Amino acid sequence: MTDIQNKIEHLWELMDQVPDPEIPVISLVELGVVREIHFKDEKVTVVITPTYTGCPAKKLFVDLIEEKLTANNFTNFEIITKIHPVWTTDWMSEETKAKLLKDGISPPTIGDKEIVCPQCKSTNTKEISQFGSVACQSLYSCNDCKEPFNYFKCLR
Amino acid sequence: MGIKIQNKEAQFIIRLADTEVILGQRLTEMCSKGPFLEEDIAISNLALDLFGRGEELLKIVSNIEGNTYSADDYAYRRNEREYFNLNLSEQPNNDFAWVMAKQFLHDVYVDLVFTQLLKSSNPELAGLSEKVLKEIQYSLNHSRDWMMRLGIGTDESNSRLQVAVNHLWKYIQEMFLFDDIDNEFLENTELIKTEWFSTVEKLLSEANISIPETKHYDIRNYRKGFHSEHLGILLATMQYIPRSYPDAKW
Repeated sequence: MTDIQNKIEHLWELMDQVPDPEIPVISLVELGVVREIHFKDEKVTVVITPTYTGCPAKKLFVDLIEEKLTANNFTNFEIITKIHPVWTTDWMSEETKAKLLKDGISPPTIGDKEIVCPQCKSTNTKEISQFGSVACQSLYSCNDCKEPFNYFKCLR
Repeated sequence: MGIKIQNKEAQFIIRLADTEVILGQRLTEMCSKGPFLEEDIAISNLALDLFGRGEELLKIVSNIEGNTYSADDYAYRRNEREYFNLNLSEQPNNDFAWVMAKQFLHDVYVDLVFTQLLKSSNPELAGLSEKVLKEIQYSLNHSRDWMMRLGIGTDESNSRLQVAVNHLWKYIQEMFLFDDIDNEFLENTELIKTEWFSTVEKLLSEANISIPETKHYDIRNYRKGFHSEHLGILLATMQYIPRSYPDAKW
């Protein structure tokens, strides 16, 4: 029993080392994409939930997880994609949000209110475009320091 | 190739899938041709959402049909008469007003359809509907915003939007020719029709666009695989690589 628990804990640690391909400062676990890990009859099952149905990184998530598992001598595994329960930015911890801000991406706020400029931390900011360089982000700029930045859209 | 879809629910879902894939392909034609950079990125993002939605729906079709064909097979290996998308979605882009008018008329429709599918007895479809409704909101906000901007912008933008709406209106009647399959899997098709007209007509009047007269056409409709001449050319572009190099991987 504890053996399996250790194994699963180890697998979570491994998954936490897989960076998000677009935002490498956070992992797929921190992003909330890796939802469940099971270990049964020597077989690993990883359940992932994509951020957006059209996210171009969807295939890459699977490839990166496969790569990580193979590199750590897991050969018997399955990666299952589940849409429901639907992915939400609520699955990001405060710690993860702080990492995003430090990396220059304004983290999601409830109802897209009081969006913080990663440069000067002012909340006097405006939306430039609802769509940014990736599906999950919008383009913003700061009215105080004039910095343009990406905002991670709130999805819930 | 002659891919036949046997199950009624799969026949219903592939209509939704095809509409999303075909509109997505139309939108990709705008990539690098947007009026300004941010809009170009927005349109490309919307196209990705449409493809993502189409793919997930085709996966459900594939499951129901016993996984004989993959989602890619359905997208790349069917001809015009085997496609079941709204004729509206395959209409050419012509100019930016056409792109946004088409998007808006579509967005209002799928918003109402997926809202009813939240209660689908198929848990996969119900779950996916919850997901895609969030994405459709982004698209709807965007297309609604442009309808207003073009409608109340300049005389030129208003007249171009009016031309686009007048033309696209020919494809509206078809959307509401619900058949037994639609009525089996949607809770209330009549409600979709009344809500669609009230939402669209309200916005058009706010945007100073006259509501076109509804003429009654004799329609051979998409539910039986009938299309305008535009679909064949679109499919030729979209399917060229997979058909030339079957089973190519990258």
